[in-house]
Amino acid sequence: MAVQRFRTIEEMAAAPVVVPPGEGFDRFARHCARYWAIAPRVYPRGVFRFRTLAEAQAARERVRDEGNAGLHSRRPGPP
Amino acid sequence: MAVDRDEMLRVLRAFEQAGLEYVLIGAAAMGFHGLVRATEDLDLFIRATPENVERLKRAFWAVYDADPSVDEISSVDLLGDYPAVRYYPPSGDLFFDVMTRLGEVASFETVAAETKEVEGIRVRVATPLALYALKKDTVRPLDRQDAEALRRRFDLTEE
Repeated sequence: MAVQRFRTIEEMAAAPVVVPPGEGFDRFARHCARYWAIAPRVYPRGVFRFRTLAEAQAARERVRDEGNAGLHSRRPGPP
Repeated sequence: MAVDRDEMLRVLRAFEQAGLEYVLIGAAAMGFHGLVRATEDLDLFIRATPENVERLKRAFWAVYDADPSVDEISSVDLLGDYPAVRYYPPSGDLFFDVMTRLGEVASFETVAAETKEVEGIRVRVATPLALYALKKDTVRPLDRQDAEALRRRFDLTEE
């Protein structure tokens, strides 16, 4: 498909690009590298645990929206 | 630092060397199937056994210089009330979502997988149909777009 049409920039950004068989991983890695060079982010570090996918998704969105605010690595603490 | 191809390969090699029972899902799996979009993370299901969680930890330790936070990955959590764990390594942009189950919908055992190979590393990847099944009914618009792309690319049906 030579031309794709999108209603929003978000839709365009999320649309997968079809590549020939066998090239998938390398194209994927290059695509990620470009994306992150253009839009670098700051992550918290460590391990976080979630009861549900919804919880995990909400945490991901918080990091995306607020940088590190609101997330803390689960460390041993007072009972 | 951008997401690093070599880092991904080191992790996938470490998974193989540790004997981790896993299956890649998410954008990385789609990439292996020739549908490319950017992502922040590698998503994977692992078999839910204490031994396999230890293999996962060994793989992360090998790649990330014995990062002490890996010790916080616990089989008690992953086999119990916390079936999803996110690991942000000490540096870099790549992070990992590790799951043992997805509600009642899916787990390592229920996701059909196939083996792909990259630079001599064998990688277990969810099949296009399995990815489609995982993504088609979620609440995330991104997943629904992925499902639609998979459906078109592989002529998948609702059955």
